[in-house]
Amino acid sequence: MSTAEATAARPSPLTSLIALYRLLLRTQITVPRLLGIAALGAIAVLIGVLARWDDNSAQAVADAVSSYGLGILVPLATLWLGTSAIGDLVEDRLLVYLWLKPVPRWQLPAAAVLATVTVVVPLTAVPLAASTFAAGAADLAVAAFLASALAALAYAGLFVAAGLWFRRAVWWGLAFVLLWENVVAYTAEGAARFTVIGWASSILGLAPDVDVQLDAGSAAAAFVVLPAIVVGGWLIATWRYRRMDID
Amino acid sequence: MLVQIPAHGSVPVSSAPPRVVADGVSKWFGALVAVSDVSFDVGAGVTALLGPNGAGKSTMFRMLCGLARPSKGTIRVLGRDPRADTGVTRMIGLVPQQESVFEPLTAREFVALSARLYGLPSPQRAASAALETVGLDPSDRRRLPAYSKGMRQRAKVAQAIVHDPAVLVLDEPLTGLDPRQRADLVALFRRLGSEGRCVIVSSHVLDEVERLGSQVLVMSQGRLAAAGDFRELRALMDDRPMRVRVRTDRPRELAGALLEGGTAVGVLLDGDQVLELDTRDARALAHALAPVAREREARLYEVSPLDADLEGVFRYVVQR
Repeated sequence: MSTAEATAARPSPLTSLIALYRLLLRTQITVPRLLGIAALGAIAVLIGVLARWDDNSAQAVADAVSSYGLGILVPLATLWLGTSAIGDLVEDRLLVYLWLKPVPRWQLPAAAVLATVTVVVPLTAVPLAASTFAAGAADLAVAAFLASALAALAYAGLFVAAGLWFRRAVWWGLAFVLLWENVVAYTAEGAARFTVIGWASSILGLAPDVDVQLDAGSAAAAFVVLPAIVVGGWLIATWRYRRMDID
Repeated sequence: MLVQIPAHGSVPVSSAPPRVVADGVSKWFGALVAVSDVSFDVGAGVTALLGPNGAGKSTMFRMLCGLARPSKGTIRVLGRDPRADTGVTRMIGLVPQQESVFEPLTAREFVALSARLYGLPSPQRAASAALETVGLDPSDRRRLPAYSKGMRQRAKVAQAIVHDPAVLVLDEPLTGLDPRQRADLVALFRRLGSEGRCVIVSSHVLDEVERLGSQVLVMSQGRLAAAGDFRELRALMDDRPMRVRVRTDRPRELAGALLEGGTAVGVLLDGDQVLELDTRDARALAHALAPVAREREARLYEVSPLDADLEGVFRYVVQR
């Protein structure tokens, strides 16, 4: 008899990671989601166009990128996709098909983060960078892109973990974005250091001749802290995935 | 022989080398005990895990595959812990009970994904072969939600056998299939079992299990109620008294005549028209009922079995 021992082997880590990434990308990409996030991105470009008529268009678009882009667009888009990446599999009881495979447990959360970022960055960071061009402040484009892309990465780590941890994670995430990232970060002294938006805004501060409303620390530190957040989220998600009972 | 399970100790279900062993396994969720102190070992061949809905079959299966950690006791699959050892999971194939599938995928993509994650060298070829084995067309480009329930069920079986596992765990695999498809899959499971694989199938339909011609484990209310050969269980069930509900305008006369004739062994009158009869021979009762009613000039408004469902069968097995 030929058995699994004889025929199946552990897949190479890259093969299984790519397979999981492609699966999650396909389950995440739906027309309503793409249109919804693209519409939010289009608003960013529109705000950029309007900022062109401001006396200080560079500052105006920087404020818009910080408040609308980093405060609303990036976190909500990442929340929508990040919590559903694995959360939908849990809700639909599909995780059983993946858990049983001889694949290292860290790969599914990693694939979920990668799939989320793959969709969110083009649909949010690119429009935010485009909004600086629309405002006639092209000097801000690189900083706006980096700030939003790294923010998306950090949020992806947090929201993928939340999707594994909580049922109705999107509501918990929404409360986190609206209250912690948009109220506490601005009102409580020193709280910006414990927010994604605070560190992302620090990167936006790299742009010449603009003042950012929120500043958690140096831009150099932000390049360490934001990736560290995604790593933290990924580790928590992996820990949870290893220990959870699969339904 | 049908074995009444002792409180402790492992019950061998077949003489073949054990592959799946549960030893004093319990699982509880807060105050709810889903599985309580279950022990068995299962070797090669087909073994049916039988029990009514809510008996703990699916929870037991989840633990056998490592998907859930036992609250107490140990599970060993091919001598290894399926929860801790991802190496052993490659030797397990599972058809879960849930109907949900990956909606964006075709059946071929679904099965090929499984093959790829099991590390097979040619996932596409393996997927095609598995789909053909269960009678699905590998070139069908429809996505899984467009499939009928029976086709989706067969796709689930294909993803479970694509890597040729030594242990196959099938949770209600015949749900949604038409009689022809059921017969085909039953034949497949029997073949896989006869080739030396350990095939464990859960079902709450007794006739399905009979066709699998298998050894059985009977679960009821989270406990292992019986284990052994299915024919023994069947004989035991044939001996049990059955209850039949009769609605008639003359229940007392009818009850007296049936008791006198010996076709009923017990009677319960419920109101002016309803009669519940206990019988050990339902066929004899069915033959006797109409002539007796005619003799006594009684009108029969309704005749229906009360405990032909599995709950009744298992209750009898457990209480015996």
